[in-house]
Amino acid sequence: MLEYAWLIPVFPFVAFLLIALLPKRTLWWESGAVYAIAGTLCSLVLSMLVVWSVLNGETLTTDTPKFKWLEVGDFSLEFGVWIDQLTALMLVVVSIVGTLVVVYSGGYMREEGEGRRRYYAEITLFISVMFGLVISDNYLQMFIFWELVGLCSYLLIGFWYEKPSAASAAKRAFIVTRVGDIMFMAGIIILFKYVGSLDFETLFSESAAVAVPTDMMILATALIFGGAIGKSAQFPLHEWLPDAMEGPTTVSALIHAATMVKAGVYLVARSYPLLIHAPESLLFVAVIGGVTAILAATVALAANDIKRVLAYSTISQLGYMILGLGAGGYLVIYANSPGGYAAATFHLMNHAFFKALLFLCAGSVIHAIGTNDMRLMGGLGKKMKITSLTMLIGALAISGIPPFSGFWSKDEVLAAVWHAGEFDSVFFLLWLMGIVTAFMTAFYMFRMWFMTFAGEPRSEYHAHESPRIMTVPLMILAGLAMTSGFVLFIGDGFKGFMESSIEGLLHGAEHESLVDIAAEIFTDPLTYVSLTLAVVGIMLARKIYLTPGFDRSMFSRGFNGKLQRALENRWYISKFYDDFAVKVVYGLSLIADKFDRYVIDGLVNGFAFLGGNTGNFIRRLQDGNVQRYASLILVGICLLLILVLYILPWGG
Amino acid sequence: MIPIEYWLIFSSLLFVIGAYGVVSRKNAIVVLMCIEIMLNAANINLVMFSSYHSVLHTVPDATGQVFALFSIAIAAAEVAVGLAIILSVYRRYQTIDVDKINILRW
Amino acid sequence: MLEGVPVLSLTILIPLIGAFITFSLGKYGKYAKYIALAFSVGALLLSLLIAYEFATDPSPSATGYHSDYQFYEEHAWISTLGINYIVGLDGISLPLFVLTTLLCTLSIIFSWDTEKRPKEYFGLMLILEVGVLGVFVSLDYFMFYVFWEVVLIPMYFMIGIWGGPRKDYAAIKFFIYTHVASLALLIAIMAMYFEAGLQTFSMEAIAGVSVDFAKGVQVAIFAAMFFGFGVKLPMVPFHTWLPDAHVEAPTAGSVLLAGLLLKMGGYGIIRVAMTSLPQGADSLSVLMAVMGVVSIIYGAILCLAQTDLKKMVAYSSISHMGFVLLGFATLGEVGIVAGVFQMFAHGLVTAVLFMMCGVVQHKCGTRLIPQLGGLAKRMPIAAAMITIGFLASLGLPGLVSFAAEFMVLYATFAKWSMWVFVPIIAVAITAAYYLWALQKSMFGPMTDKIDTSHLKDVTWYEGVPVAILIVLIAVFGVFPSLIFSKITPAVEILLRLYGGG
Repeated sequence: MLEYAWLIPVFPFVAFLLIALLPKRTLWWESGAVYAIAGTLCSLVLSMLVVWSVLNGETLTTDTPKFKWLEVGDFSLEFGVWIDQLTALMLVVVSIVGTLVVVYSGGYMREEGEGRRRYYAEITLFISVMFGLVISDNYLQMFIFWELVGLCSYLLIGFWYEKPSAASAAKRAFIVTRVGDIMFMAGIIILFKYVGSLDFETLFSESAAVAVPTDMMILATALIFGGAIGKSAQFPLHEWLPDAMEGPTTVSALIHAATMVKAGVYLVARSYPLLIHAPESLLFVAVIGGVTAILAATVALAANDIKRVLAYSTISQLGYMILGLGAGGYLVIYANSPGGYAAATFHLMNHAFFKALLFLCAGSVIHAIGTNDMRLMGGLGKKMKITSLTMLIGALAISGIPPFSGFWSKDEVLAAVWHAGEFDSVFFLLWLMGIVTAFMTAFYMFRMWFMTFAGEPRSEYHAHESPRIMTVPLMILAGLAMTSGFVLFIGDGFKGFMESSIEGLLHGAEHESLVDIAAEIFTDPLTYVSLTLAVVGIMLARKIYLTPGFDRSMFSRGFNGKLQRALENRWYISKFYDDFAVKVVYGLSLIADKFDRYVIDGLVNGFAFLGGNTGNFIRRLQDGNVQRYASLILVGICLLLILVLYILPWGG
Repeated sequence: MIPIEYWLIFSSLLFVIGAYGVVSRKNAIVVLMCIEIMLNAANINLVMFSSYHSVLHTVPDATGQVFALFSIAIAAAEVAVGLAIILSVYRRYQTIDVDKINILRW
Repeated sequence: MLEGVPVLSLTILIPLIGAFITFSLGKYGKYAKYIALAFSVGALLLSLLIAYEFATDPSPSATGYHSDYQFYEEHAWISTLGINYIVGLDGISLPLFVLTTLLCTLSIIFSWDTEKRPKEYFGLMLILEVGVLGVFVSLDYFMFYVFWEVVLIPMYFMIGIWGGPRKDYAAIKFFIYTHVASLALLIAIMAMYFEAGLQTFSMEAIAGVSVDFAKGVQVAIFAAMFFGFGVKLPMVPFHTWLPDAHVEAPTAGSVLLAGLLLKMGGYGIIRVAMTSLPQGADSLSVLMAVMGVVSIIYGAILCLAQTDLKKMVAYSSISHMGFVLLGFATLGEVGIVAGVFQMFAHGLVTAVLFMMCGVVQHKCGTRLIPQLGGLAKRMPIAAAMITIGFLASLGLPGLVSFAAEFMVLYATFAKWSMWVFVPIIAVAITAAYYLWALQKSMFGPMTDKIDTSHLKDVTWYEGVPVAILIVLIAVFGVFPSLIFSKITPAVEILLRLYGGG
């Protein structure tokens, strides 16, 4: 089965070609949605077959079939397919969310007219390259698809290109992620120089790790993580993601919540065999993750745009995963435990489902009333029962309330960070940041839910429940958000499943039984700490945003309103980048332009001027008086004769 | 036989006088005459060296004399051309003052 | 199939004949474009046949193959001075050779609506094609120099007659600047000729002895050549003729100028300077690298400040040709191969960009970015094409430039380790200026600064050449080994001089 895995990206790609190239008449329903749904469904089926094989213990990590991309002497790059448990996990996420989002688009994009063709072409292309990314068997192939998903993200954020804000957001997203991509590329180049290959098979072997000097390994892994910082919107390159909400909500759900932004987390997880040789990089990873988690959560507290709340929440949750991976690396090195790694990847999957759900619910709301501003909503619960209920499930899941999926994975991540504290006390601080984030998450998610669905309408609108084609995907995702947490206890257990993908790094780890895992969760006091905080957060949100007439101005008065302003301005980070881009970079380019125009070109023109003027001056000597010429010739001949005959050494 | 230096000094003097005339006189006809003087200075040299050559080496060689005759013939043609030019210059500018005919400048 | 046929000479001859016919059309000037197209297509087909017959790994005894060159021809020309007519192709010149015939044909199609003095216009284009083809196949210094200078003349007239408002200034500047550089090249050629003392201008024969020149001599000659070729490339600080020439040149002139004339500089460095003077190249490799990196960064920064779409593309050429220079400077196999490939890639990509600038100019009457906006609404095909062109130029994987940029950066790291972080910054700046230009000109609300009521999408003669180029950009982006497999053996032979290969 696995040898056919390369077909997974081919189906959506064929759909892309059909939608892009077929004449308009033959696109049928919804300008090509049929092809898009068919393409993604085919790859969904194939993905599930592949995942089934992986569950049965098959992997494709050695002697994979290769396609030689280019070869120059010893420099050779080949493409192939790599299927292991981590790939299977990503395949599950991408195929399920991808298919559901494409189906949902059938209703959501109905009013777009001509633009739908472009939309479906771009989104199938995205799904195709995203599949390509997760099945890559070497860093370069991954990088290529990495850039291509960035391109699709750019195109889809700028889908409504006539809107200046969308055009600008698309540009920012591409440029900011490109900064990360460059670091990724630099990291690849370093590895390639020392190992001579970019295949995971070669790179992840022990001999490769020896070939790279320690400082270079730290640099390379940190740079590769730089790619993840860009793509997964980690601090300090996270500001593009909230801007990316300018795209259609389906795009936000698929690309900017469930799949592409997970690519960074996937990259870090994939690079584990390298990262464990560089604990410094792991610490860096964890700190960035922790800082991102808490920073983004604070901004989400004050956002009024429903999609921005979700965007900051996504950043925050991605920070969680990155933090979990950083801590997990320490656990792998010092405790031979896959705990953090499994927890982070588990959170990746759960988050993909519930965040896609939340975004699609938000999309349903926006579709119904035509605004993103939560201050204009309220009381929608009565009119949109399915949407409000499924969104409630999503909110409960992300807040970490059992038995919804977020509870299991978030708790595992926090536990892993706590355990890593035994090896480096920085992790205790990061754990504290994580737990505060958990509290804030519960608070802002329910703030959003109450502001949207509860209470009385705060503006005139005619809401209606969305059509079946949109609500069915919501219900499927809600079902997944409720149940995906229990994967922890099915079969070998999620931990056991993920453990086998990094077996080579764990020396003599004892396999935990499912009962142990469950017992560990429920006997650990930390579980109850985070649970209590989540409940308190929800109650607080209810208190503040549901009680009629509650005085909320106390927040804007705190710290003389500076805090509120800072949060509303996203800690001024975005402004800083704008200023940097406009004042420093653009200023520099203007100076360079002046320099080029007046100094370099001035020199060139100066030479021309000099030549012209000299000629102009000298030609005055030609006054047309033949007798003067003759006398000068005579004098010249005499001087020459004197020179040749008497002065020069070979004369006379 | 007259020593060779005398000949040389004589022809040099002629040449220099001619050259002086060419660069200093205003009248184009005088300039032309001075050019003839310079030419004749060269002719004298040709004839003189030729005769010295045949005497010293005792060979009957008249190449120099022939050359001088050629040169005189060409000078005659040249004077004709020169005078024709001067004539047409005079017709055009009503002057043959070489200082005033300076249109070939810059 | 091509055995015994002087196929390279034929390829050069076809556009030359075409040029003479085109010039002598008299009052039938309106048919000039058909004749020019027919002859350039003839040359294109012949060059494609050559590419098809080109053996990647030929046996040295094969017909038409002489040492490292294929389709080799040699005839005495001016034997008293040791000047011969020698032409041949190897893996380095083949991609550029085909690129030349391709771009000339597409430029002629693109200029289909030229009304002003068409027979001179198309005739000059064919003459230009002759010159550039000659440069890429000559294996004799004298011929090389003659063709090198032949190229200048049609380009001078194209800018000077069909150019924009400041065409006279731009044309003169272009001519004098590049001519001064040619003189440095001539001096270098003469120095090699006399230093070798073989009484022949044959590149191969001179290279046979010039590799053993004293180090000082090699460095001096190499420096002169480097200047001569560097101006053409162009490298900072000898680049200012380029933006002026591009801004004033007609679109097809810009395409050929950026697509082909700049490549002559890079080609000269590798074919002449580096092949003949290994010690000189070795001593000056750091200088080359510094010049390359400065060009990359400085060109990219300048792009950010431009408001004229075409001027921005012109400066981006400086930045991208810097990668060629940087690749060559590494003196390693990967870097040099990538440099040659980058020349080919840049030829394809920059042609798309200049053609699209021409389309914008043609339709909107201006290329100033602040005057444009929202064109995608009215010109969706043009917007898609310009987007693909920009993406290809900023090195998006899957399109042609990526492989070259990646390999050049790799080779830079392999040789100078951490210095690679300097040129790599330009990759981000490149994305910034292209996307900024795209946002301001194609996206956003429809501009009200120009009359957009009659805005139409691309016409067939504008769309077809760009579409062909885009297909090639994608094909060679996905399958770069089609080109790499041709370049690599030639570079390996070259690298034997440097103790590698």
